Formats: sequence, structure tokens, C-alpha cells
Amino acid sequence: MPSLISPAERDFILKGIECNIRADGRQRPDFREVILETGVVSQTSGSARVRIAGGTDILVSVKAEIGPVQVDPETGDGADKGQIICSVECAPSASQQFEGRGADDLNNELTQMMTRILSNTSATSSSASSAAGINLSKLCIIPGQQCWILYVDALVLDYGGNLMDAIFMGTRAAIFDTRIPKTEVQDLGDGQFEFEVLDDAEDTDIVDGREDMPICITLNKIGARHIVDASPLEELCTEAKLVVAVNRSGELCGLQKGQDGGIEPSLLLEMIQFGKTIGQSLIKQLDAMIKAEADSDLGKRQRGEPIHKLGFFAQ
Amino acid sequence: MDRKRVAGPELSVAPLVEYPVDRKCWIPQKDHRHDASRQPEDMRPIYLKTGLINQANGSAYIELEKTKIACGVYGPRSVKRVGQGFSGHGVLNCEIKFATFSCAKRRTNVRDPQEKNLSLIISQALTPAVRLDLLPKSAIDVYITVLESDGISSCLSAAITAASAALAHAGIEMLDLVAACSASYIPTGPSITATESAGSIASSPPQIFMDADLEEEKHEQGSIVLAYMPSRNEVTHVLQSGKAEGAIISQSVEHCVEACNKIYAVMHHALLESITENKSV
Repeated sequence: MPSLISPAERDFILKGIECNIRADGRQRPDFREVILETGVVSQTSGSARVRIAGGTDILVSVKAEIGPVQVDPETGDGADKGQIICSVECAPSASQQFEGRGADDLNNELTQMMTRILSNTSATSSSASSAAGINLSKLCIIPGQQCWILYVDALVLDYGGNLMDAIFMGTRAAIFDTRIPKTEVQDLGDGQFEFEVLDDAEDTDIVDGREDMPICITLNKIGARHIVDASPLEELCTEAKLVVAVNRSGELCGLQKGQDGGIEPSLLLEMIQFGKTIGQSLIKQLDAMIKAEADSDLGKRQRGEPIHKLGFFAQ
Repeated sequence: MDRKRVAGPELSVAPLVEYPVDRKCWIPQKDHRHDASRQPEDMRPIYLKTGLINQANGSAYIELEKTKIACGVYGPRSVKRVGQGFSGHGVLNCEIKFATFSCAKRRTNVRDPQEKNLSLIISQALTPAVRLDLLPKSAIDVYITVLESDGISSCLSAAITAASAALAHAGIEMLDLVAACSASYIPTGPSITATESAGSIASSPPQIFMDADLEEEKHEQGSIVLAYMPSRNEVTHVLQSGKAEGAIISQSVEHCVEACNKIYAVMHHALLESITENKSV
């Protein structure tokens, strides 16, 4: 992860973007190739690995655990809802700068952004809408007592720019891969309930509302233009970046400006629109990728063939 | 009853206390706000005053009814840490701290992740305005204390406004003042009372309420905070959470820009006042 850039290199990138050609031959609205794989870690309820060609490598795991429901003391809300708890960690092996406490700020920024978009309770709380499409009520086991808590943990294994988009692609795929065991609730009378977790690996629930999960598009404003999927050097030239979270029906699920530059209001609206269009087409591609993989896995399982995964760091 | 401590007669009963009747729940309706005197596009009245903290190089205090925030600016000072190396640009450190008693739930003294994140947002919102290129090897510290919070979004926008007024009061060179404003999209109409699931809300488009307070924030579907430099016509920060249609977003951005222009006038007035006061002393 470079932290400095020479004026000559900056100038080269800036002028290139002005002419709609980038250092790696892409045009402004082009993404790099994405490798997406689900079901890579056996200990999790769902997992996915994303690699953006050129560096960024992220592993997202979802673990479903049973815990007490969290009731908001002010509104009394949340008694019949499960929870999603997000965290992002940059592994020190990815970059020297992540060593020790070096990644703390970055981890916190990414975690908070993810929490804001997925669970929507962090910076600006909201009670009326369910989190980012996921139906939290379905995660509740006994209202007012027990619920499923989905721990979404993203681990950055390699850095090659555009972390946020990759994390969200991975999270979406991992949630698609997640299987939650079925539970059976027994009524013991006078308000007492008991439940049992069924340990049938074949008969499990999917996460309800997973199709409506948003993904993020990070737009980097360089000069008067904006690009998507910036490489590390392009990120160093970025004056302002705008993270646009969008779901498949084109609704905006979050918006955040980053870095230390300003954007004109008219350009801001144009960038939002641009991010929305790109995001929707990207979701379609990702869904096709996830579906193709799930279908081939299912076919192999039925035929009794072993399922081979690419595994980590595969190019 | 605690007989050891209360030395009353044996037949005493607890006093009947009349609680204020204002406890009933506010239900969002079209054009009807929690604060009945406000229209959907109205902000709360702003009280802004600079120079209330003696020790600081610049300071500001902002009050939007129940939102009360104090801000102090220290610096520019030289960067102490040697290990960081030379930087041609100055650094703007922002730190926001919620007082332990500021929210409904008691907050702890240690900085929690939310405060860290808000600090980062505030510094990102202010940095485009400050001429940090004129301050090599130095740092400016902005400390913000939230004394009373009435809704997180409005708190964040008030903090940005106060911090930029305090920076100007400290005499730090800036391109422009940064005014910030928040808006909430609140679903109105009969559907919300019946069920709280997202599906039923989608029927009617939500209404935009500017500068929502805590009670309104509880009903919101999403919110936006926009920081804006009026004379440069530049958005320095935008933060949106919750689900919304593109049209609602662009509409609320326009509303926020308009409101920021009004806040800008208030900031101007407060700064002018601080200068005239200084002259008379």
C-alpha cells in the first residue's frame, strides 16, 4: 500500500483520466475483473472470497450465533428482531502499514460504514426500516428473548485499491451462501418458551431478503472527472470519493463522501446517478456469478463429485 | 416502604405525582411535525456565539433548541511526533465527545467507535475549507463537546457548523465557512401505524423533514447530512443512511443546500458580532 506519489506520476494519471484512458488500459467507468467464490471456509455459516485482479483480496465470513435480543430502551423497538454485527479487519500481512495499531482508523471507518449500510443503527439510527433488505424479524427465535445474530466479518488479505466495493461484493455473496439451522419453538405455557436447534445440514433456512442487499460503488473524483474501481495509485490522486450504496431495484441505501475534497452539488447528483446505474448492472453480474457457482456445486454434489474451490490468493 | 429510612406514620402512602401529559407518542402525518410550530422545511432557530471559551484560540457555541454543542479550536501548533516525517500540508484533528449525560442512554467516558467515526466525518467535512497548504509541519486541533443531543444527524450537522465558525474565529485562513444541515425522510400516512415492516411503508413516498429532532428521527426511514460551502458552491461532505429513491435524495440535497445558505447567514452574523464586540471592549 503506497502512501506517497510523485508529482510526475500524479500528472500522468490525471491527464490520462482526462483523456478517458487509465494506466492499466481501462476507461473511466470500467471495473477490473472480479473473482468471486463462495463456501470457502468450512467453519462458517456462509463465506465468500473476492479478488479484484490487481491486488485486493477479501475474505468475508458470516457466522450465525444465538444470543439475547437487543431492545432499544427508548423506543422499545427490536424485541422481535435479530441482529447483524459487522466488522472489518485489515490483516497486517496485507501491508506493513496495517501493523500494530496502524490499521485501527481504517478498520473503524470501514466497519462503521458497513454497519451504517447493513444494520443502519450506528451513526444515524432508524427503527422503521429493516436493515438493507434483510428481514430481521425472520432472525428472531423467541420474541423478547432469543434471536440469531449474524456476525459479518471481513478480512482484508491483500490491498490493491477499492476496498469498500470488494467488501460489499463479498458480504453480499457470503450472505447468499449463509445457511441458518432451523429451530423448533415449544410453548411450555404461562409465557415460557423453549427451543431446539435442528442439526439437519440439508434442511436449513436462507437469509430472507438477501436479494435486496445493497452493494457499494466508490466513485473517485480526480480532476473534474470521476472513475470507479480505483487502483492504489489512483486513490492517492483522489480529491474526493463518494461511496454510493445501491440495491437491485435502484434504491439508494447509503451515501458517504470520503477524503478531503469538495464536490459541486450538480456534480454530486450526477455522480449519484452514475453510481446507481453502474451498481445495478454490477449486481446483475454478481447474481449471475453466484447462481452459476451454486448450480455447478449442486450438480457436482448430486453426482457425488468432489467440489474443488480455487482457494486463497488464486489469480 | 423503607421503614428504616422513612420515619412516616404507618399508614402513609406514596404521593400522587402529576406527570406532564406530553408523554404521548408523536405519529408522523403529512405536514405535521413533532414541534407543531414548524413546517416541514423549517429548521429550528439557531443560536450561535463565538468566543465563549477563554483558553482556546477560537471557540463557538451552538444551540438548536435541545441540541447544545460547544467547540474549541487550538493551534496551529507544530506537529510533535517526529516519526511521521515532513509534510507540506497541515493536519486538521477533529475530536467529538458526547458528554456522558447528553443522550437518553448514559455514554461512557472513553471514546467509542461512533465518536471516532463522527470525528473523522467532521474532519473530512472541514478540511476542504481550511488552507492547510499554508500551514506546513503544523496541526490544528478542534475539540467538540456535545452537551445535549436531540437527534444524531442534527447533532453532527450542528457540530460541523460550530467547528467551522470556531475555526474562523481562531483566525485560521479558510476558503469559506462550512455550513451543515440534516434532513430526514419520514414515511407519512396511515401505513406506518399498522405495521413497521418495510413493505407497507413503500406505498407512499416519504416526506422530507428538515433538521429533524430525536422524536422525528425515531420514525425516519433514512436521513441525510450535507456540509456545504455556500460562496464556493461546493459540497464538502454528504452522509446518507437508510433506503430512499433517487428523486428523494436529489430533492433533499437541494433543500439542504438552501438551508445551508440560511445557516451561512447566521454564521456570518455571529462572526461579525464577535468582531464588533472586541472593538467595543
